Order: sequence, then C-alpha cells, then structure tokens
Amino acid sequence: MSEFEYLRNVTIGQYIPTESTVHRLDPRTKLLAALFVALAATSTRSVLATLLLIGLLMGVTRLARIEVRYVLRGLLPAAPFVAALMLMQLLFQGRFSVCETVYWEWGFVRITPCLIELVVLGALRLVIFLFLVSLLTLTTTASHILHGIETLLAPLQRIGLPVHEFALTNIIALRFIPIIAEEMERIAKAQASRGGDFGGAPWWRPDRMARARLPLIVPLFVNTLRRAEEMVVAMEARCYLGRKGRTKFVDLHFTGLDWLVIGLSVLLWVVVWRTPWPTFT
Amino acid sequence: MAPLIRIESLHYTYQHEGGAVQALRGIDLTIEQGEYVVLLGHNGSGKSTLAKHLNALLLPTQGDVWINGWNTKERRHLREIRSTVGMVFQQPDNQIVATIVEEDVAFGPENLGLERQEIRRRVEWSLERVDMLPFRHRAPHLLSGGQKQRVCIAGVLAMQPSVLVLDEATAMLDPIGRQEVLEVARRLNREEGVTIIAVTHFMREAIEADRVLVLHDGKIALQGPPRTLFQQIDRLRALSLDVPHVSELAQALHRRFPAFPPDLLTPQEIAAAVIACCEERREESGERSARKDERGERNRTRDKFTLLTPHSSRPPLLALHHVAHYYMRGTPLEVKAIEDVNIEVHRGEIIGVIGHTGSGKSTAVQHFNGLLKAHEGEVWVLGQNLADPAVDLRAVRRAVGLVFQTPEAQLFEQYVGDDVAYGPRKQGLGPEEVRARVRRAMEAVGLPFEEFKDRITFSLSGGQMRRVAIAGVLALEPQVLVLDEPTAGLDPQARRQLMRHILDLHRQGVTLVIISHNMEELAEICDRIYVIADGRTVMAGTPAEVFSRAAELRAIGLDAPDMTQVAEALKAQGLLPADAVIYTLEQAEAAIAELLLAHGAALVEAPVGEQTR
Repeated sequence: MSEFEYLRNVTIGQYIPTESTVHRLDPRTKLLAALFVALAATSTRSVLATLLLIGLLMGVTRLARIEVRYVLRGLLPAAPFVAALMLMQLLFQGRFSVCETVYWEWGFVRITPCLIELVVLGALRLVIFLFLVSLLTLTTTASHILHGIETLLAPLQRIGLPVHEFALTNIIALRFIPIIAEEMERIAKAQASRGGDFGGAPWWRPDRMARARLPLIVPLFVNTLRRAEEMVVAMEARCYLGRKGRTKFVDLHFTGLDWLVIGLSVLLWVVVWRTPWPTFT
Repeated sequence: MAPLIRIESLHYTYQHEGGAVQALRGIDLTIEQGEYVVLLGHNGSGKSTLAKHLNALLLPTQGDVWINGWNTKERRHLREIRSTVGMVFQQPDNQIVATIVEEDVAFGPENLGLERQEIRRRVEWSLERVDMLPFRHRAPHLLSGGQKQRVCIAGVLAMQPSVLVLDEATAMLDPIGRQEVLEVARRLNREEGVTIIAVTHFMREAIEADRVLVLHDGKIALQGPPRTLFQQIDRLRALSLDVPHVSELAQALHRRFPAFPPDLLTPQEIAAAVIACCEERREESGERSARKDERGERNRTRDKFTLLTPHSSRPPLLALHHVAHYYMRGTPLEVKAIEDVNIEVHRGEIIGVIGHTGSGKSTAVQHFNGLLKAHEGEVWVLGQNLADPAVDLRAVRRAVGLVFQTPEAQLFEQYVGDDVAYGPRKQGLGPEEVRARVRRAMEAVGLPFEEFKDRITFSLSGGQMRRVAIAGVLALEPQVLVLDEPTAGLDPQARRQLMRHILDLHRQGVTLVIISHNMEELAEICDRIYVIADGRTVMAGTPAEVFSRAAELRAIGLDAPDMTQVAEALKAQGLLPADAVIYTLEQAEAAIAELLLAHGAALVEAPVGEQTR
C-alpha cells in the first residue's frame, strides 16, 4: 500500500450490486425492517434468541447473494471496540449482578454466571447492529438510503425540521468524498515533492503538529470552499430555488413483497419479545 | 418576432480588493434562435461575465438583458429565464449534485416542479442526446472528464432550454473529452435547433461557429464568421489570442500563391486545396494509380506499434525500466495503473510524454522522485536504484522537481514569498540562503522578487499563481524538472509566457520532462517524445519519428499536430514522400510551397512587392 493512498480504500458503506431480491426492496422497507430487528435484539435478554437473530441475518445475507464471510470480515475493524466493551463490563458490572453463585471475586471484580451472560449478550447485540448496518449499505446505495430516510421523515417537515435540506446536503457530501480523497492525495504528493513531511513534531506539541499539517489542510479547505461556491452557482443555474415547488424524480413505491417483509419483521419483533426464552441463570 | 437574446449597452462593475473593476463596458448584442456563437477572449476580457448575464446569475450594473422578452432584472421570471438559458461550467465535478447519473440529470426538472413521468421522459431523452444513456445508473466519479461534462450537458438539456451556454466547458478536458463535448454541441445545434453560445479561449473551437465574437477589455473588439475573422492574424495576436497554425499556413501560402485560398480552417481543407491545385497536372501525366498502390503497401507494413530505441548510449539521468504499478495493491479492488513503462532521460534533454487520459503517464512520472514505488521493474535516478533502501528520498526529491497538474491548487501560505520558501526552509537552509533561493526561483518564472514576495497568494491571477507554485519547486534547485500539463487551463498569453520561462530554465541547464496534450507545443521544443498507452510505452523517438505515425497515434486516441495531419493527407495522395518530416508551420509551408511550385501550372508566385494584400 502506498503511503499516499488515503481514502481510496474506504469501504464503509460499500455497495455490492448483485441485483438480488434484497437489493430490489424499497429502501424504506429495509430501514424499517432493520429497525424492527434491532428492536427485537434489544427486547430479549436471551443469548439463544440473539444467536438465532444473527443466524437469520446470515440467511438474509445469503439471500442477497453476498458471502457471509465478506460481511464478517468487514466487522473485524470493530473487534477491538467489542473487546473493550466486554472487558469493561467484566470488570465493573459484576457488583450489580443478581446471581447468587460467584465463580471468582477480587476487590470490586466479581464474576457470576449472570455477568457472563450479560457480557456475551452485549457483544452479540453490538454484532447484530453492525451486521444490520453493513447489510443495509451492502444492498442499498447511499442515495437510496437517503431518499428512504427523507420520505420516512417527510412528516417532520411540517413541524419545521429541514428534512429535504438534510437529505440534499448529505447526498452532495457523499458525492464529494471520492473527489476530496483524490485531491488530498494529490496535495500530499505535491508537498512531499517540495520536501515537505507532515510528521516530525512530538505528540506533546499539538500546536507544532497542526502547523506541520497546514500545507495539507489549507489548500484542501481553499479548494473545497471554491468547489462549494461553484456548486452553488451551478445549482442556481439549474433553477434550484429551495424546496418550494420542487418535485421528486426518485420513485419509491412499496410492492406486496415490501409489505410482507415489513409485516414479518414486526411479527419477528413481537415474537422475540413475547417468547419466554429459556435462560441458564 | 423578438430576438431570443437582446443585450443593450450592458455595463458591469464589481468590487475587487477595494477597487471597482469594470468587467463589461457597453455591450450591444442580439442572438437569434438556432445560432452557434463563440465568445473568444483572454482571461479577464469579460467573456465569462457576459455569459453569466444570460441567465441572470449576474445582473447588469447598467443597461439591460432581455431573454425571450423577459428582462433579467425582474425576479419573477427567474425560473423561465434560467430554464430557457441552460449553462454548463468549467469543472464538471463541481456541477454534479447527485451520486447517480440519472438522478443528477433529474435535478433541473425536479426544480421546475415537473411530474415524475415527464421527468423520466426528459432524463432519458437528454441522456440519449449526449450518448450517456447506458451510464444512467453509474456513479459520476467513475466517469471520464468528457463523460462527466456530457452528463452536465444532459442535466441542462433536461430543462429543455432554447440556449445552451458552455462557459469554458472544455477548458479542463483532454483532447478526446473536448471533441466529445463539441460533437454533442454541434449535434444539438443542427438537429434540435438549440442555440449554442460557447465561451472559450481555444481558437480551434471557433471554427464550427456561425459567428465569433472577440471580447477585449469588456467590449466586443471583433465580430464575424470564423473564415473572415481568422484572416486578421495581427489583430487577433494584439488581442492576446492564438491564431491556429492552419490559418497561418493558408495565409502564408496565399501570399506566395495568390490563387491559394486564404480562409481555410482545418487541416483537411488545406490538404484538399493543395490536392485540388495539383490534381489537373497529375491527371495529365496519369501517374496516379501507380502511386496509390505504393501507399497501400506502406500502410500495411505499419500496422502494429513500434518501440523505436533511443539513440544515446550515455547512462541516463533518469530511467524507468519495465515499471509496473498497481493501485490499492493487495485488496480486491486492485487496479493496474501502469504495466510496462520505459523512459530514459539524459542530461540537458527536453523529453515529452504523451498519452490519453488514464494511460498512466502521470502515474509513470511520479516514480521519478520516489512518490510511487515500482511494484515491478527498476527506477534509476542519478545513478541510484530507488529500490535500494539506503537511497535518501529527500535528496532525490530535491534533485528531481515534480510539478503537478494545476499546481496552484496546492499553495497554502498567505504570502507569496513564504510559499516559495517552504521547500528550502524544510531543507534547513539558513535565512540568507533561503532568501537568495526564493529570489532566484521567483525571478526565473518572471515574478520580480521585491514586487511579489509580500503579495497575498490567493489574490493573484490564475497564471501568476501557477508560476508561484512552479517557483516553489524551483527553489529546491532541481537538476530535472518534471511538469505535468504545465499549461492546461491557461489562456494563450499566460501559456506563451510560462513556456518561455520553462525554456529559459532549460537554457540554464535544467533537464525537462513535460507531459502535455498540446502536440504543437511539444513538437516544437522536445528532443524526444514517449508515447504511453494503456500503461505501456508504445513509441519513443524524435518528434519527427513519432508524429510521422499519425495513424497509430490516432488509434490510441491522440492527435498529431495540425501540420502533420496536413502532411499525412498529402502523403496519402502520394504528393509528398512518405519520409518527409513535417510537424512545424515552417516545415509545412516550405514543403507545400515546393510542391505547388512543382505542380501548379495555374499558380504563379507573386512578385515580392505584392506579397501582402
């Protein structure tokens, strides 16, 4: 990997077009279904139920014709955070445990079966949330997700929330990610060609570190502001005068399948919530 | 019927650095439906300012602009005016708002409040017009510059405008992208009756126009159809514009042979005129068929690419040997950027590197100062193999100065002097030495030290900023200067000025490597030229050797200089020997004059006294 390839390999929100049924679902359906699966995951304290939910998500992944391994590998960067969370719970949550059996105790650290269940559950829930987000972005383009959010939140426009502006701003921001990444690479190379380096300052002197990065940051800002100005003129030239009188081209419509998926996900939530899952504590 | 566009005594003044600038000083102009108008002028002539008045992005300080009878000062007609006059700007990246092509094209119609069905119909229709329908679901950042600009045009067309204004829409594109955009404009004008107003400083783009307007100091200085306008060479030069070699050649020939038409605009027209002059004579002697056979034979032997070996046996100053480089190596997204590039640069040479966009030429030259490491092959710089970990890369980067495309986008200091001093200071030189180097570097690019060192960097003109950026590299006092598209986006005056400074550097002993799309420029100054296509060196040789393979160049998306194209057309007819070396104006003039003298019974050379009409 070259030292100058910065954001070219950003994989967050990467979209894999396999044209599966999951891909073809309305983005609103996928957003709502994800919401209900997340609700289901938080409404049970059962490790078994949580594992079953993960199994279900793997099934959906297969249905989307994406390799489960690929999704799991994408979760790896989050592993340190999950581990840190588990460690914290293990160290500090034991005191609040309701179980009577105690495996091991030292100072305020107290390991009980309930605690172990809680720690495992916490980690698994985090995995479910990350899994949901990757599955959503792997099967839905960013712009579709935003159109979905915009439509779902449209009623909030009436109470004065700038939903349309929020969606448009985000779409434009998404558009500029690859452009600015490339720009940053070019600037860094050009300054390196002039003998520049951007480290060299000790970490206890953040002022000097910031100063060393000015040759990158100043041009990046100047260019981005210039782009923004040009963008405004171009948008005005294309008759953009705000939300008023605007129609929408992107046509989101529910099919029978969409209703079915939404119905099933609500059902899933209720079932997971209401089932008396066996617990081992 | 009222004209589509009517402008009456338009004045426009704006504030810049505390002073009032008169950008437009009395423009009177009418443009009718269906016209193709080109607005020419150097930077600061007011041409873009005028264009922005056509859809009320700017409003007159004095005078009026009427579009379809609507005065642009009346806000209530804003939507009608802006949907009547569509505008495409220089940077496609800064005009595309959506992450999917068709959604971007829909942006204008959405703003007009059209029904979804109608928007869909218009999106499809306009993408079809610019040949981008197959790309409708693509992400814009994966398209080429020309493709992106065509998406921008589609976005404007979807509002069904009567007028399409191209505000330097081709300035940042490579020759292929430029051709794509011009082709679309031409077709819209002919087939759909769309009025085209193209703002540009490329004279060649004016050839297609019905009418050319030359702006100078905020006024219309010249006006007329391209054929008559281009004959006023001295007048155009005085207005800081470039006259195409073709026009110069036609007029030079006309001066010597009054029967030769002076108003030709393309290499094809010149070739046709020369052939017509020689035709009668040749038909008499009946040698035509024999010549044709000979030509067929030649073409067949030249079918594949050839790598001509460089002549020198000295050890080169810089060398790439079979270099390959991959982007995002080791990920599933790995892309091969270059796979077999060979370049040798000797001390004191001027080397040109040409290739279409995406051919890998910029990637290749970034190996010369170790910014990129070769994944395969060897990079030699000043006798060192860069793969050797003991090599001091900072020293290499000081010895081989690399100037990127649009280097002015990398300036960061508030004052010019500080920006130029960045490199020497990083090198740890003392203040006296830094000052001396900054002075030398700035003066080498024509920026007097005392006058410019304390100027605010971002208040300079585009051409001046570019020279500051180059000075920033020169302050390292490199032995080799590698320039990636040094003149792209500059107007002819700034371009000539910059090239003069670059050649001065060469005279002072700096070895030059120049990447450029401007074949005329390279043909005149380079010792040798390397041609890169699809990540490989496919040709290398003197300008004469390389440009004599016009057909092969065309096959990889490059154009030979105009003069070579004229010569190739004549060689194809057997009028010039196949090995004739022609790539400059002087060579072409001499060769054709000789040809006409030999053939043209009807052409009499004008007596010396009557050379100018």
